[in-house]
Amino acid sequence: MDVSELKKNAKLEIDGQPWVVTDYNFVKPGKGQGLYKCRIKNMISGAVIDRTWRSGERLEAADVESRQFQYLFGGPEGYTFMDNTNYEQIELQPELVGDDHRFLMDQLGVDILFFKGRPVGITLPSHVIMEIVDSEPGVKGDTATNVTKGATVQTGLLVQVPIFLRIGDKIKISTESGDYIERVNG
Amino acid sequence: MDCSARVRLWDEALAGVRACLREQGLREVSTSIRRDAVAIEPWIEPIGAGQGRWLATSPELAMKRLLCRGSGSIFQLAHVFRAAERGPRHSEEFHLLEWYRTPGELPDVMADVERVVARTFAVARDLIGSELAPAPRRWVCVEMIELLRETTGFPLIGDEPAAEIEPLLARARARAGVRWAQVDVDRSAQLDSHADSLADLLAWTELFSLWSDLELDPWLARQDPQLGIHVVGFPRMLAALAQVEGARAQRFESHVGGVELANGYLELRDPIEQRRRFELVAALREHHGLPELPLPERFLADLADAGLPACAGVALGFDRLLAIATGSESLDVLALD
Repeated sequence: MDVSELKKNAKLEIDGQPWVVTDYNFVKPGKGQGLYKCRIKNMISGAVIDRTWRSGERLEAADVESRQFQYLFGGPEGYTFMDNTNYEQIELQPELVGDDHRFLMDQLGVDILFFKGRPVGITLPSHVIMEIVDSEPGVKGDTATNVTKGATVQTGLLVQVPIFLRIGDKIKISTESGDYIERVNG
Repeated sequence: MDCSARVRLWDEALAGVRACLREQGLREVSTSIRRDAVAIEPWIEPIGAGQGRWLATSPELAMKRLLCRGSGSIFQLAHVFRAAERGPRHSEEFHLLEWYRTPGELPDVMADVERVVARTFAVARDLIGSELAPAPRRWVCVEMIELLRETTGFPLIGDEPAAEIEPLLARARARAGVRWAQVDVDRSAQLDSHADSLADLLAWTELFSLWSDLELDPWLARQDPQLGIHVVGFPRMLAALAQVEGARAQRFESHVGGVELANGYLELRDPIEQRRRFELVAALREHHGLPELPLPERFLADLADAGLPACAGVALGFDRLLAIATGSESLDVLALD
């Protein structure tokens, strides 16, 4: 593609990596060459850099696609997901899933990013609701509001929760920080 | 600004600049927008109008043809079109206020720029009742090549070949986050015959663009907002359609509030040199894989036969001037759409 087709959210392939344009500004000094000043984000690593292209340059559009999947099962050897539309199954390597495996519970909906037909990344919902399966009971009489205790949820993830929560309680957890957000009724 | 305020602004601003230039003895002309050839310049891409024609990127060649045929000093408020120029201060269609004084020298048309700017700021102030943006109280000339030397620490003269400014260019590219991406094109006879000049033109236009963004624009933004600035003393490779004297092009750029408003030239009159510059830009276009444009032969013929009288000319982005005078962030907010 020609550099003049650049715009926000354009997806580019640079050095074999997919990047998305997150900020875009066109400047052109007088009779000079136009500059396309962009901030781009690596769609795999999340790294953000500033890049400037000049009028006349050509860019390669990235062959990327995001599809919705459901988590089925997995372990240290790999994690298996099912495509919601055609029921096709795909196994992702543990390196690709990284720390996100702590949130993978039955039927969790995720987006998987494909670059040139290969899965390269996974995006979880911003929060998940999980059940406390193990936790010490709170100490009687300790009513201070900021006191927390460790609680384990069904995927084995350990979360700091308020002391009054008990086994069987459902809690909302941020997938970005891994922190407890709130108790969920029912 | 609501629609009726915008209509009043355009009405009075257009009337204001017309009166301003007529008072100076210039006549208004209106030349055709659909052209069979445009002035081929680096980094200005025309928009096709079908049947092998283009929408005017500026009224320059049409007006110079009138000058060749004895029009005397003239001005025009022209609709012009440039592909892929989109941004807060750019639009693919805009109004260019262009004028030529014959006889005329650069200081004459610089004074015109100052008059046009003052009149437009006065119109905006009277209409709105208060000053939205500081009008330039006085103007100064700044030597571009000296500013280049000062900010880069390179003892440039302005006629260095590409190889000599390469280290400076490499540094500017690194700072701007640019990476060199060479375009693969078949090297034709045209490209080869211009290889050295083309390398110089590419290097200088790229250096100028990156340096303007990295150094000149921030420098201009730091100056007193009530100071209008004419940047003069351009390197010869950036002469465009201006005469060259020694290492310097006889041209200037006028800036107000850190924004470039106008470009002025002591106009090139030599038909052979003019053809050479057009061919050089055609080679640059080929180098970048851009579609071929025809040389403006009718203009070149007028230049060779009738001859262009000694003249100085200016092109001023009128939408930008209105935007600055009304303190508007972008050109869109003033558009009568």
